[in-house]
Amino acid sequence: MTQVKDNIIVRIAGAAGDGIASSGEIFGKVCSRLGLHVMAYNSYQSAIRGGHVWLQLNVGSRKTLSHGEAPEVVVLLNKTSPLVHVPSVKKGGVVFYNSSNITEDLSKMRDDVTFYGVPFRELITEKGADMIMANIMLTGAVVQILGLNPQIGLDFIRDRFAKKQEEVIKLNQKIFQIGVDWAKQNAKSLDVVLKGDGKGRMFMTGNHAFGMGLLAHGLKFYAAYPMSPSTGVLHYLATKAKSHKIVVKQTEDEIAAVNFVIGAAHAGVRAATATSGGGFSLMVEGIGLAGMLEEPIVIINVQRGAPSTGIPTKQEQGDLNLMFGGSGDFARIVLAPKDMEDAFYTAGRALNLAEKYQTPVLILSDLFLSEHFQTVEPFQFDAVPIERGKIQESVNGGSYKRYLITEDGVSPRVLPGMPGAMYVSASDEHDESGVVISDVLAGLPSSLDIRNKIHTKRMKKLEVARAEDMRLPTLTGPANAELTLMGWGSTYDAIEEACQLLREAGVSVNHLHFTDLYPLPVEGVLEILNSCREIIAVETNFSSQMVRLIRAETGFSIKRTVNRYDGEPFTGEDIFKRLQEVLAHV
Amino acid sequence: MSESKDFNSSVHPDWCPGCGDFGLLTAFKKAFPILNLEPHQIMTVSGIGCSSNLPGFINTYGMHTLHGRALPIAQGFKLANHKMTVVAVGGDGDGYGIGVGHFVHAMRRNIDITYVVMNNSIYGLTTGQTSPTSALKMKTKSTPFGNPELPINPLTLALGSGCSFVARVYTGHVPQLIEVLKRAIQHQGFALVDTFSPCVTFNKLNTHEFYKQNVKDINQNGHDPSDIMAAFREATRTDYIATGILYQQERSCYEESERETLAEPIYRHRLGVSAEEAEKLVAEFI
Repeated sequence: MTQVKDNIIVRIAGAAGDGIASSGEIFGKVCSRLGLHVMAYNSYQSAIRGGHVWLQLNVGSRKTLSHGEAPEVVVLLNKTSPLVHVPSVKKGGVVFYNSSNITEDLSKMRDDVTFYGVPFRELITEKGADMIMANIMLTGAVVQILGLNPQIGLDFIRDRFAKKQEEVIKLNQKIFQIGVDWAKQNAKSLDVVLKGDGKGRMFMTGNHAFGMGLLAHGLKFYAAYPMSPSTGVLHYLATKAKSHKIVVKQTEDEIAAVNFVIGAAHAGVRAATATSGGGFSLMVEGIGLAGMLEEPIVIINVQRGAPSTGIPTKQEQGDLNLMFGGSGDFARIVLAPKDMEDAFYTAGRALNLAEKYQTPVLILSDLFLSEHFQTVEPFQFDAVPIERGKIQESVNGGSYKRYLITEDGVSPRVLPGMPGAMYVSASDEHDESGVVISDVLAGLPSSLDIRNKIHTKRMKKLEVARAEDMRLPTLTGPANAELTLMGWGSTYDAIEEACQLLREAGVSVNHLHFTDLYPLPVEGVLEILNSCREIIAVETNFSSQMVRLIRAETGFSIKRTVNRYDGEPFTGEDIFKRLQEVLAHV
Repeated sequence: MSESKDFNSSVHPDWCPGCGDFGLLTAFKKAFPILNLEPHQIMTVSGIGCSSNLPGFINTYGMHTLHGRALPIAQGFKLANHKMTVVAVGGDGDGYGIGVGHFVHAMRRNIDITYVVMNNSIYGLTTGQTSPTSALKMKTKSTPFGNPELPINPLTLALGSGCSFVARVYTGHVPQLIEVLKRAIQHQGFALVDTFSPCVTFNKLNTHEFYKQNVKDINQNGHDPSDIMAAFREATRTDYIATGILYQQERSCYEESERETLAEPIYRHRLGVSAEEAEKLVAEFI
């Protein structure tokens, strides 16, 4: 019995400015409103006009785990796109192109692919219709051959352009409909059954999920400096500043951003920032300050490709080592959400942990997680209740010690403004009251004792967090599998997909995945690592930074790795292929 | 009603005897009661340097932070709790050297804080190197053959950066300093008070004696502080060194642009979103 095909990979390609994003949005929203699952990945360059861009969407009746490799339906909008994309179309696939713009006969390029030249100019008589709208027409054609309800597309166009004039809405709908009608007459329907469950799902990026997660869990202050691929968080929150009464501030640089956040956190508001590796490097000084002053701050680092300014529009997991930057020892927590839902909840968890431990919480995202569009399951807004940690509401006459030594290393906070509790938070080493011991008292026998006690107190937080809050890695698949694929952060779905392919090929495999990276719950982690028979670490970086962290923290050594660092994210198929090479060398 | 002694800290200043910074400390303690401010209503934020130790020597809420970063922290704090009076302090290395980028942007942003720079034209805590306000050719430990760079004029920099209150005082003239601090704190917006605060240990040029002989309070002889060109002229005089309020502009401060959000200080807001709000956030993406 042959299985009915229930997913399809669609690619839309053209020049930057050809409307790739809006056709992707229309197509994605048609699918998500029908209750289909979509995973979309945008390949683009750091250029506003003129770069070649494409969007690949993997649409399925069931959850799709990656954007896939070879596309089956391709839309080409500009002259350079056939050469780039026709060779990678899957055998038996179809290509729609704007034949008013791409005039050569593409059918000579491949004989195992069907080409449909849609003559935009001939089909259009409407006033105001411009070649730039070819994207809308071709999207209509794709919706038609996939057997999706075009009315959903027409409805979405109305919603999408709600703020525009009625003529603009009507024109876009008309052009979409022409595409639908053209395909109905000229193109063969595809042999795929895309059956949505009718539950309209959110179609969003990880940066949206982070932004919404922060907002839903009490964020009141956000300061940032624009840096791809983190800027989406700033853009999202900026639109919510007025309606949700939060302060959103673009600062002069990342140094200012993190210090604004520290100032706001000190006043008692939940405050966060997001940046990419270069900006995070500038923030390291401030993170150390937050560790020393014991301020609850949240920083999202959205990793891009390569060192220094690197490749702003590409993916890598190359900043794990950077999370440990800063002078001296201080407590910090590092989390790396595995997907979009996790991004939403991690934002809430991070705000809670920051206040519980009064220390910086660093979230590691990357271009893939932060910028790809995907359908997500509904967020549970009450799943992570807001917990503010030790905040002291009054001082009863007696003197208040901001850095009181306690069992768990966390001292109750008095928010500035309370009468009778004045204190100084000092970046220099200080005693329980905040009085500095770095100057005239440095080195005196009494100061040595204070230094030991106060430093031990701050570091104690790591032990408590390790025991109380840090989650063990998840192990999915058969516990006694012969092979374990180990990953962290955004690669979760791709590794799951690879496991499926491996199992289909008869390999006994499971998947070990880390989201809570530091402090590691060492004993539990070791137990799981020791239970695995053969571990291969899968990371999008050169030096296997997670392998190194695990070795440093647990002494457990993972010998074999799959590394990708060309800037493209993993897919299951890609991991599967790379594993053949690793396993062949056994 | 607060009194000057309410602002006394249990920590004795570790400044050298004769340090100009003592004058500012005294002036703060006198100015706050005049403004009816209680210790718990004030947040004093500093950077790093001799002068940045000041928050430890005065009984208000305080933050002793990073070299050059007092202003971003003070601004973030102010936006989160704008009911408190926020005073940022530091030295010339802190504000005009490592922190000069933040300084310029803070002035054009015009958040309602007061920034007092204890300018001694030398790096004191690091034992005597050239500073952004050291005179040309001045010999210091890092410029034994003379400083080859022109000093920054903080006042013209401020006037050119949209600072809405620009003043300068010699810390030896405490009554004038009290008056200027009072006006600076009352000013709605960013107020710069550049103080000549001599370093008695490492700077043999910019001494108490030098300032006593050369400064002149321009508010005593008809200077119009609303005239920015007059302010530029006074800031660049070579026949005397102008002190007092050089420039004051009434313009809306940053917080006005966030009037609805800041109706209540945000640290007191209800947190999170209602079920209705959540539904709306979700609907945007469907």
